[in-house]
Amino acid sequence: MTGPGKAPRRLDAASDALLAERAGDGDTAAFEALARRHGPLMRAYARRLTGSLADADDAVQEALVRCWSQLPALRDPAAVRGWMMRITARCAINVLRRRKYDIALDEETRDDPGPGPESRAVTGSSMTALGKALGRLPEAQRQCWVLRKMGGQSCEEIARTLGISTESVRGRLARAQATLIKEMEAWR
Amino acid sequence: MTPVTIGADCGRTLEELSDYLHTGSSPDAEHVHNCPQCQAGLAALRRLDDLTAELIALDILQAGRGDEPWLQNILDHLRLETRAGRAIPLAGAHPDDDLSETEGAVIALIRTVGDTLPGATIGKCWLHGDLTSAGAPVTLHLNVTAFWGHPVPGLARALRSTLSDALALHTELNITAIDIAVTDLVEDAAATPERIGT
Repeated sequence: MTGPGKAPRRLDAASDALLAERAGDGDTAAFEALARRHGPLMRAYARRLTGSLADADDAVQEALVRCWSQLPALRDPAAVRGWMMRITARCAINVLRRRKYDIALDEETRDDPGPGPESRAVTGSSMTALGKALGRLPEAQRQCWVLRKMGGQSCEEIARTLGISTESVRGRLARAQATLIKEMEAWR
Repeated sequence: MTPVTIGADCGRTLEELSDYLHTGSSPDAEHVHNCPQCQAGLAALRRLDDLTAELIALDILQAGRGDEPWLQNILDHLRLETRAGRAIPLAGAHPDDDLSETEGAVIALIRTVGDTLPGATIGKCWLHGDLTSAGAPVTLHLNVTAFWGHPVPGLARALRSTLSDALALHTELNITAIDIAVTDLVEDAAATPERIGT
């Protein structure tokens, strides 16, 4: 991208609202500061939604381009974080849709069920087991669960994001929750 | 779909309990309070909530920091279109010259110049008026985040004079007013480097 390679230090400490305003005005340094601040969350979110780190990075890249072009229209700059997360979710779902012809959704074996090798230190903990259980959920359920728990989306928002009915969202969330509870109780 | 029930006798679904846990109300609250199966279900749901929160925190940690190469790599490959805005005509040395500068370039100048003042960071800027007609009156409106310890009236005066000098030097705009709105007051980032991280 163009513009200064490193944002002034002052931008790294600036509020989300200020950065969003400046980025909306065309300040690429402010935009990079926003991306550095929320990029890890966007990547983690996209990774859980897509089940793959490579797909997550594609989704983050696509989301950042969309954020940049839509920032001038953002009404509430202070709420930019949630807005970036919603865009990330839509992009992650799109990345998955683009390759859904290759793999049948619910039978897919995850190439990246979650925590990477660096997490071996906590292997065996309930948290790691939860990550794995989440990775084993049918994709449709996992997406609803991640949009709800990580993205904080309501059932209505999830329905819009995925293009399905609110009832389907509720059903998938209930099944995901039941499976996770059952597995979690088995670890105890 | 078959609802998931907690126990054979109780008949309440996990979903109902989850709604109760997350909304704090249920038409069935008295039963839930007194039913051991429902209480066990609620405890399991709370454990799942706690574990989920821990997992999300770990996921974010493992995603890497924002100043690491993975993100820089993504940023380096973004093609962000510039925000040019309106074209502002400039008088050329020859009558045939067709010179102009973009609104985006002027706003970038305002940010850069404004940021050099120690007490403030420039936020959103608007140029109101008919920019495309040479000499038409234009007002500049800007949002500013001021730092603690810098008196706002003096800051606004300094900002106005610095900006009008810079705009007179680099543009031919007929700036009739500079309106400054202090939209936020914060600690000076440069004075507290330990909070920045690197």
